[in-house]
Amino acid sequence: MHYEAPIRRPLITGDKSYEDITRDVSRPIETNAPRSWWIVFSIALLAFLWGIGCILYTIGDGIGVWGLNKTIGWAWDITNFVWWVGIGHAGTLISAILLLFRQKWRMSINRSAEAMTIFSVIQAALFPLIHMGRPWLAYFVFPLPNQFGSLWVNFNSPLLWDVFAISTYFSVSLVFWYVGLIPDFSMLRDRAKNPVQKHIYRILSFGWAGRAKHWQRFEEVSLVLAGLATPLVLSVHTIVSMDFATSVIPGWHSTIFPPYFVAGAIFSGFAMVLTLLIITRKVLHLESYITREHVELMNIVIILTGGIVAVAYITEFFIAWYSGSNYEDFVYMSWGAATGPYAWAFWALIICNIITPLFLWFRKVRRNFLASFIISIVINIGMWFERFDIIVMDLSRDYLPSSWAMFSPTFVDIGIFVGTIGFFFVLFLLYARSFPVIAQAELKTILKSSGENYKKLQAKEEHGH
Amino acid sequence: MATDQAPVVKALYDDDDVLLRGVKEVREKGYNVSEVYSPFPVHGLDEAMGLKETRMAITAFFYGLVGLTFASLMTYGMLIVDWPMNIGGKPSFTWGENMPAFVPVMFELTVFFAAHLMVWTFFIRNGLYPGKKTANPDPRTTDNMFLMEVTPEDTQSSDELLALLRESGAVEVSQNKEADA
Amino acid sequence: MADKKQYWRGIAELENPGLKEQLGKNEFRDPLPTDEFLSDENALHNGQTSRRDFLKYMGFTTAAATLAACESPVYESVPYVVAPEEVIPGLANYYATSYFDGHDYASLLIKTREGRPIKVENNKMAKLNGSANARLQGSVLNLYDSSRLQAPRKGSESIDWETLDAQVIDGLQKADAAGKQVVLLTGSVISPSAQKVIRKFGKQFKQFRHVVVDPLSYSEKLRAWQEATGKRALPLYHFDKARAIVSFGADFLGDWVGQSVSSDYAKTRVPGKDMSRHLQFEANLSLTGSNADQRYKLKASETGLALAELYNAIAQAKGRPTLNLKGKSSQYQAVQKAGKELLKAGAKALVVAGGNNADWEHLVIAINKMLGAEGNTVNVEQRCFLRQGSDQALENLTADMKAGKVGGIVLHNANPAYHRAGNLAFKEALQKVNTRVAITPKANETAQACDFLAAESHYLESWNDFKPADGHYSLQQPTIQRVYDTRQFEECLMRWAGMVGSYREMIQNSWQEGMLRDRSWKEVLHDGVFAAATPLAGATQEPAEQETAQEAQSDGANLDRVAASVSKMAQNASGMELNLYQKAGVGAGMLANNPWLQELPDPITRTTWDNYVALSAADAKELGLRNWNESDGALNGNAVNLTIGKTKLKEVPVIVQPGQTPGTIGLAIGYGRKGLGKVADGVGLNAQQLSVGRAHFAEVEVEPLPEYKHPFASIQHGYTMMGREIVKETDLSTFLNKPAHTAAGDGWNELPEFGTYKGEQAPDKTTLWSSFDHETGHMWNMSIDLNMCTGCGACVVACQSENNVPAVGKEEVRNFRDMHWLRIDRYYSSEVTEEMAEDLSTAELYDQMEKAADSPSVYFQPVMCQHCNHAPCETVCPVAATTHSSEGLNHMAYNRCIGTRYCANNCPYKVRRFNWFEYHNNQERFDVNYSMNEDMGKMVLNPDVTVRSRGVMEKCSMCIQRIQLGKLEAKKNGVPVKDGQVQTACQSACDTGAIVFGDVNDKESKVFQLKGDDRMYHLLGEVGTQPSVFYQVKVTNKA
Repeated sequence: MHYEAPIRRPLITGDKSYEDITRDVSRPIETNAPRSWWIVFSIALLAFLWGIGCILYTIGDGIGVWGLNKTIGWAWDITNFVWWVGIGHAGTLISAILLLFRQKWRMSINRSAEAMTIFSVIQAALFPLIHMGRPWLAYFVFPLPNQFGSLWVNFNSPLLWDVFAISTYFSVSLVFWYVGLIPDFSMLRDRAKNPVQKHIYRILSFGWAGRAKHWQRFEEVSLVLAGLATPLVLSVHTIVSMDFATSVIPGWHSTIFPPYFVAGAIFSGFAMVLTLLIITRKVLHLESYITREHVELMNIVIILTGGIVAVAYITEFFIAWYSGSNYEDFVYMSWGAATGPYAWAFWALIICNIITPLFLWFRKVRRNFLASFIISIVINIGMWFERFDIIVMDLSRDYLPSSWAMFSPTFVDIGIFVGTIGFFFVLFLLYARSFPVIAQAELKTILKSSGENYKKLQAKEEHGH
Repeated sequence: MATDQAPVVKALYDDDDVLLRGVKEVREKGYNVSEVYSPFPVHGLDEAMGLKETRMAITAFFYGLVGLTFASLMTYGMLIVDWPMNIGGKPSFTWGENMPAFVPVMFELTVFFAAHLMVWTFFIRNGLYPGKKTANPDPRTTDNMFLMEVTPEDTQSSDELLALLRESGAVEVSQNKEADA
Repeated sequence: MADKKQYWRGIAELENPGLKEQLGKNEFRDPLPTDEFLSDENALHNGQTSRRDFLKYMGFTTAAATLAACESPVYESVPYVVAPEEVIPGLANYYATSYFDGHDYASLLIKTREGRPIKVENNKMAKLNGSANARLQGSVLNLYDSSRLQAPRKGSESIDWETLDAQVIDGLQKADAAGKQVVLLTGSVISPSAQKVIRKFGKQFKQFRHVVVDPLSYSEKLRAWQEATGKRALPLYHFDKARAIVSFGADFLGDWVGQSVSSDYAKTRVPGKDMSRHLQFEANLSLTGSNADQRYKLKASETGLALAELYNAIAQAKGRPTLNLKGKSSQYQAVQKAGKELLKAGAKALVVAGGNNADWEHLVIAINKMLGAEGNTVNVEQRCFLRQGSDQALENLTADMKAGKVGGIVLHNANPAYHRAGNLAFKEALQKVNTRVAITPKANETAQACDFLAAESHYLESWNDFKPADGHYSLQQPTIQRVYDTRQFEECLMRWAGMVGSYREMIQNSWQEGMLRDRSWKEVLHDGVFAAATPLAGATQEPAEQETAQEAQSDGANLDRVAASVSKMAQNASGMELNLYQKAGVGAGMLANNPWLQELPDPITRTTWDNYVALSAADAKELGLRNWNESDGALNGNAVNLTIGKTKLKEVPVIVQPGQTPGTIGLAIGYGRKGLGKVADGVGLNAQQLSVGRAHFAEVEVEPLPEYKHPFASIQHGYTMMGREIVKETDLSTFLNKPAHTAAGDGWNELPEFGTYKGEQAPDKTTLWSSFDHETGHMWNMSIDLNMCTGCGACVVACQSENNVPAVGKEEVRNFRDMHWLRIDRYYSSEVTEEMAEDLSTAELYDQMEKAADSPSVYFQPVMCQHCNHAPCETVCPVAATTHSSEGLNHMAYNRCIGTRYCANNCPYKVRRFNWFEYHNNQERFDVNYSMNEDMGKMVLNPDVTVRSRGVMEKCSMCIQRIQLGKLEAKKNGVPVKDGQVQTACQSACDTGAIVFGDVNDKESKVFQLKGDDRMYHLLGEVGTQPSVFYQVKVTNKA
């Protein structure tokens, strides 16, 4: 049993024992949902239904019901796609990379972060599907044998890379998440009084018993999955960025996109995790597990990734100017953009993504829940604008001025986006009341090393000598 | 586990460190610790119990290779052999020339195969599947209790063992009879 | 299933019982295995259907249902009972014919498939007007316009021809008996046979008058020529002989006197020693003005004075007496320059004037005489009869009608209630006439006021012979059985004149008697045109036959009088001047009910589905009017109220037009129709509702409406090239004296190069990839000569009709969703220069660069799919729906396309078009596009080209169907494809020869030589897309 240095602040506050953890984690599931939950849930559900309506309208009438045109063939659809995928990165990143780095503080947040990943990737996956002119032929993108024999997909196309990247990412994250859930499900199973509940959790827990050998395999599998998920998570946004980077459109054709998109993804992902957890800890009374420490640590990651993103913007701006090519005059990071018809979008991006995160350099701000909450939301808005600017501004003014055009969304564009947000929260709220929102089994392993009370004890002992 | 010819002794502990010490003592005394149930992975327990290294990681590596091969063959078969096309002038003459465009797909499939097949293996080797009936003898072992099962050989007296377990810090010690009942 | 009844489809099958089996054989290679169980009597009758039977039937029906549910829909088809031998299904037949509607004239080839006319082509054999402009390219669609009169009508209820004939004859005879006039009011009549018929028709009545009116008056011009030459007809112009062309407001590349001169003009625009120099003085920025080497802004009211100044300049040089003028025109200096140019060219000079003013015309005639151009570039021997109208006569007629002197009137090709709405109260006067007959294809503005509407046939359903000018004859022959119960004008008159026989026989006889000496009727009919050196007996119908009133004035040609009056006009000119003009698409409005033409972007403003006031930036500023863009880029504009005398035109939208002469506004005619159909009605406003008079311009009061917001459907957002090398331009002297490419890189056509370890390399050489073989087989390339392209838009409409390109209507065009596969980009020059750029801030600079200059040079650039050999679109398609052919073409597989639009995003040329909606069979959204939403309209669709379904991407295919046809023919004849055998639709529509298509692997081919030309460059060549389309640098002959 190893103990960590007393200088490290405790990750579990309050006088907690193993039973306490069990009780605290299963409380939301064993108690009834408060009114507040029902209110939020019904709002989310309404938004979700509205979104479905808009999607059906689109599929019924044609993509023409969106605001797109001959010059701007993508706008909100792909913006939302990239935005959701980006958000989806934090989960896997927290549980995979931080696991590899043995970051113990991940344990109280990784479960929810992964849930968020799964749910947002579901939203993301929706857009490539419905943005198709003929979604009912979507299966064409899979390399399936067909009646035409030699009619295969085009493996040169970044969109096809997306198909493979997104589906792999989604399924692997799902498996990773589920494997981690199994011991916690079995805990719920063994506590459950209500037979129905017991039955459900019995099925979900795959009959886990916590045998020593199983634990041994469990830990190795988690470790290997983490090892696989880490390059995977980096590859996904790399490939998404290649949708643009491999094109010839000024502003899209940019070699720094992969690293910069990944950084952006983590940036927005962590922001979203913050947004969610700051609410969750209050609503589900998990203050002693999701502590100021966690918030601060995540804010630090945001400062780092936000910094990378900011540097990327500046680089883009510089290169656009330095290239001396007048095709680059109006790319999303350029004077042309800053002063052109889309100046408002340009400045929205700068303010949300470069200026606002700077406040996190103050320790007071990054240890303040409310401030972090607001900033995290601003960052998510900013990251949405980043994708909007890249897609719409670059398309609206490309090579031939004769084809320049502009874009403005229709109610359908907006409706579908709102719908996905609704769908996301519907899923997350259901999760919050039926799943163990904290990886309690893992957390118990660090109770002694990082629990506040144990740290005190240990401190005493040392002084005693 | 619990069978008529082999009487099983169960000892419940409420602390992982105590359990670990217990396991070590019991095995020093030459008893055979047949199984331990714990709510979370107790570090060092597998050494203490003398469990072998698991080979999950190795399987994953080979599954990855399978995925890589599959992806390479698929791209080769579909775009080079079956129906080579001039797509934006990209050279589809040999797989090698066209390969750079296939790297993303090859990578993704490698990960896909490695991850999924390994997890399947994990479930199969552990005999876990949806709806399997609960297998831990005491529900508390998923909460805060640690349960050690010892199967003494006929030569070893169980009373001695029980005493040993009690002083090793077990909070409850029981014979298999009432456990099975 | 037990039922064994026999059904037969159509009489043919009943009469010929073998047919069913025959059809069956043709349909399935081997019979379907249905009989195996269906024919099993017992199983069927004693209904003991066993489980296995049930499963069989189930299996069969399911399979059948599945097959039936396959994507491609099956329409019912009616086979020929007796097949006409000349119609071979799948092969096109071409018929030579001619078009004349009293305004536009051309001799054409009509492509028919299975008996349906589907495409208009140019008749290359014709010496005069052998090419269809944008309007006539689209005219085939009007044949299938369901809003045509489908049967004769009395008032609003339709009647049969016999009743109509009876009642009309009765009415006219009554009128005659009552001692009242019987009047035939037509557009210009250029058909000798029609003239005969008219004479016969007139003979029946004591007081018969034949009055002629043109949609836009040319009677003053005609008067001038009558005064000058004694003959009331315009001359033929020979632009091909001209070396110096000075035009005063004559839009001869657009719409002028009816003679189409663009091909002749183009002949003189080939860069080289004897390239012509073209100076244009005008008020509106016209198509001609934008093609001129130099363009000078000149108010119409000053035109006369400027012409007089030009006269003096030349007279001085020639030592002739000059005219004394009061005041100086605003373009005095330019006029002097023009004078020098003309003198330099001497007999090879040509001065032309637009508008409709006798004084101007007299000056023009005199100047051309002095220069010796007359008899050379101006041919007074061969007169052109395309404009014959007499407004004097029309005014007299109206007066008589008011006075109740007219008892019966027959109208044809004449619509004064629309075209003269502002000038005279024709409609009111018409009410005083007892018998009012309109022979018209539509219940148009005038016809609505008539009680008899004789449904007129479309020109593709009619016979006729034309004499557009001395020595030029052409024939019109039907290419399809009458679609509706209609009759052509001449047939009607023949009936009413009690003539026997058919009009066709009459034509054939008169030709065989009079004209065709050594040639056979069939031969001439095949050619469609016939040039005769000397006027011929059979058809020497003089237009003088028509009533032209006593227009000619004795002193008309007296230049001193002219000088005085033009000076006076210039001095009196004070207010704003309205200049009428015609748009390429709609013209005078005869074919306006045609979505293709309404959606053809105006070459200059790139605006569709509208006419509007073109206003100069200066005046706009003064009046506080502006254009602005919505958040989605769509164009909006304020409006104005126009007043001339008592006539008003309310809420006319405004477009601020670079190059518009300050103090003038332009407004197109042919819009604001009533009764033409759902496409034309209510689009724009009728400019001729203002009493502009006979001239094409008038002083107008402009009342600005700065609050008013009008939505435009303009497909082009940007004005300038933003300093990018998109249209390359150089001037003649540079072209002649300097190299195209130099080591120093200061040639006039430097091509992009990239530094590599092998030194500077062209983009297509700097690639990491081993390339595909483009040397064997065909390699289709296209050359577009920016010097030849006048921007007329004929190719755009030709492409639309060849490739079943949908028209999408105003709203969708406004959303930047036009579907044209071929567009003609228009760029203005900007005023920003290198020096200016120095001392402007970046923001200001961009702002300035986007603005067009006040008097900009205008550039036209046709852009279609460039068929890149390293196509960005192909790489990104996830399903390989667009791939490259071994012949250098970029293919698009509609069936495979799932519509991700990634290809369109990644296209640097933005030529790909997405089917945002279902454009066919989608009446509630795209009703106006009747070529795809009405059963009748669909007749025009080209069966060789798929109608694209919703959600797929489409684009120019280089007319792949034509390429295939060419290759098949060559294969059948066992010879290689000859150069020029395969012509794309745009190429064959272009009468200036700007577009050349061919195989660059054929070293003899024209396109191969053009690819080696110094002027050759690729659009955005530096992007490395290696296009198969290339352009030729524009060379202007600036002074």
